[in-house]
Amino acid sequence: MPVTKVLTAGIGEANLRDIDVYRQRGGYKQLERAFKTMKSADVLEAADKSGLRGRGGAGFPTGRKWSFLPSNDRPRYLVCNSDEAEPGTFKDHMLLEETPHLVLEGILLGAYGIGSHHAYIYIRGEFMRGAEIFNQAIEQARKAGFVGKNLFGTGYDLEVTVHRGAGAYICGEETALLNSLEGKRGEPRLKPPFPAVAGLYGMPTVVNNVETLAYLVPILEKGAEWFASVGTERSKGYKIISISGHVQKPGNYEVPLGTPVRELIEIAGGLRPGRKLMAIQPGGGSSACIFEEHLDLPYDYESLAKAGTMLGSGAMVVMDDTTDFVRAAHNLARFFAHESCGQCTPCREGGDWLETVLHRLVEGHGLQSDIEMLNRVGHQITGINLCPLGDSIEPFLLSVLKRFPEQFEARVIRETVKA
Amino acid sequence: MATRAEEFPALLERLRPECEEIIARYEHSRSALLPLIHLFQSHEGYASAEAQRAVADMLALTTAVVESTVSFYTLFFRKPVGKYVLQVCRGLACSINGAEDIMAYFREKLGIGHLETTPDGLFSYEEVECLAACDRATCMQVNLDFVYDLTPQMIDEMLDAMRAGTYSVVPMAQTDKPERTWKVLQDTQVSQGGKSLGAIDQPNPNNGSGVDKDGVIMIDRILAQQPRFEGRTKERLANVEPTITTVLESEDLQ
Repeated sequence: MPVTKVLTAGIGEANLRDIDVYRQRGGYKQLERAFKTMKSADVLEAADKSGLRGRGGAGFPTGRKWSFLPSNDRPRYLVCNSDEAEPGTFKDHMLLEETPHLVLEGILLGAYGIGSHHAYIYIRGEFMRGAEIFNQAIEQARKAGFVGKNLFGTGYDLEVTVHRGAGAYICGEETALLNSLEGKRGEPRLKPPFPAVAGLYGMPTVVNNVETLAYLVPILEKGAEWFASVGTERSKGYKIISISGHVQKPGNYEVPLGTPVRELIEIAGGLRPGRKLMAIQPGGGSSACIFEEHLDLPYDYESLAKAGTMLGSGAMVVMDDTTDFVRAAHNLARFFAHESCGQCTPCREGGDWLETVLHRLVEGHGLQSDIEMLNRVGHQITGINLCPLGDSIEPFLLSVLKRFPEQFEARVIRETVKA
Repeated sequence: MATRAEEFPALLERLRPECEEIIARYEHSRSALLPLIHLFQSHEGYASAEAQRAVADMLALTTAVVESTVSFYTLFFRKPVGKYVLQVCRGLACSINGAEDIMAYFREKLGIGHLETTPDGLFSYEEVECLAACDRATCMQVNLDFVYDLTPQMIDEMLDAMRAGTYSVVPMAQTDKPERTWKVLQDTQVSQGGKSLGAIDQPNPNNGSGVDKDGVIMIDRILAQQPRFEGRTKERLANVEPTITTVLESEDLQ
């Protein structure tokens, strides 16, 4: 079985919230080594060489993201994105609550790597307990001398601040997150300028996902080559996959990228007895479905992109033959309509109308023209918004509409009479 | 007994050191807006008009800016809520694992719907988006504490324990009597028959305390009065049964 434990090592076995337990297991050694023997540029180089790609959804190479920071002496910030709200994703929730020190060490390493003296972690408002746990971790680390002034006697000051959100999916988008962190409405900004040039308070900023930053610790420990030796050509290393839905053992499983989808479902206990696989949403609520014929697809960025979908945040929702796909499509359309910030008309109005029409179908009051309209309208919402939320409404809907048109047609009550 | 609004200055004085400590955490004071509202909400049970005004004063912002920001976030309640805020996940993974039945059970047991509070002020009920606990569907939060793998039996026990005051989660602070709903609607909905505007020194339903001294125009309507689209679809279909073309024209789907 390809399940490996890198970030997930020790979870469920030891109380990793306790800094002493974490240190006994080798915690904060990499931080100390980085501060004492490495330059910032060395950390960046390790991140770059490892081929680590952003684990939050977009999959952008981490080292390259860091290298976009201009080389000036303006203050720069590292922001850890823990606004995990993509439907089906629950890996950051686990990391934050179960192994907060690993996340903190990753944040500290990342901040050192880009030369930042103030790092922020934006935690989703619903994770109230997670924020408490993380605050305790910071206090423990402060006492041990890993956070605060003059770290390890090098004269390097580094502060970490927890910022709790208050319930908005859109704040997972990096510029919306920065606005929310600045105390504003969580509305995405126009890009460019990208955060690397003008981010938090107008200063150069890097926003990285929790899992991305946490992987810096094993990368420094075992070397960039170790990380790069796993996975596929362009998808290096390990990834925590959140598997949920109609599987017998839903949960977070850490595997090398490129593991076949079939194997992932087996790891999660397989389908319930006597059930047939209908669809898999491989990368969170924003991704198109893959089906039975894709079971041997390697689970990595480029293979999924080739199949017309995406890896996203690594959230796999498995659906068997008990699933009502009209309801499922309505569910996600409602989600995006609810979470749209309302700045761009196609997303705000389009999402709302799609929800209305899909609700009509769910209720069995659909019109024949609805199905044709759904096919047509989906594409008109995509690619013309400030942020990718609008683009996320359509993939799931169109993929299941194409695959299971009979489920949608069964909800149509009468033929269209053209006026 | 003093009302909540009368007690607010004392609360503000008590919390001021903590507020200053929060503001000092950030390099720009405005960043403290969300944590300050979280703080006041934890003491008052909701983000009251006084709290929003106090935060505006502390951060040198206008009340309108604070309210505009607060209204963006779903976890800030701008009206009093029940002692137990029950937020049931309606995300996809929960939904395909029976969340619809769980939600129906809740609505039946509580006798209220989405975004409503029971008349005794004990429960507020909301159906929320994915809570990031899909491996333990169906899940919910009670005052932001997670409850996993819900079953009807668990719900019965939970509600009984809450009514008896023995439930393990700390109840929300409740400084004002909750209204039926805490949802505040936007101005686009006025055109659809929503309630009228608030105005300077007029009683305003968005302010827990009643009168809107700042003249911030706010719009509100009790959710129950709003015909949701599902109702509208049904009504329409019932009314225009013979001529389906009217439906099409009225919606202008083409």
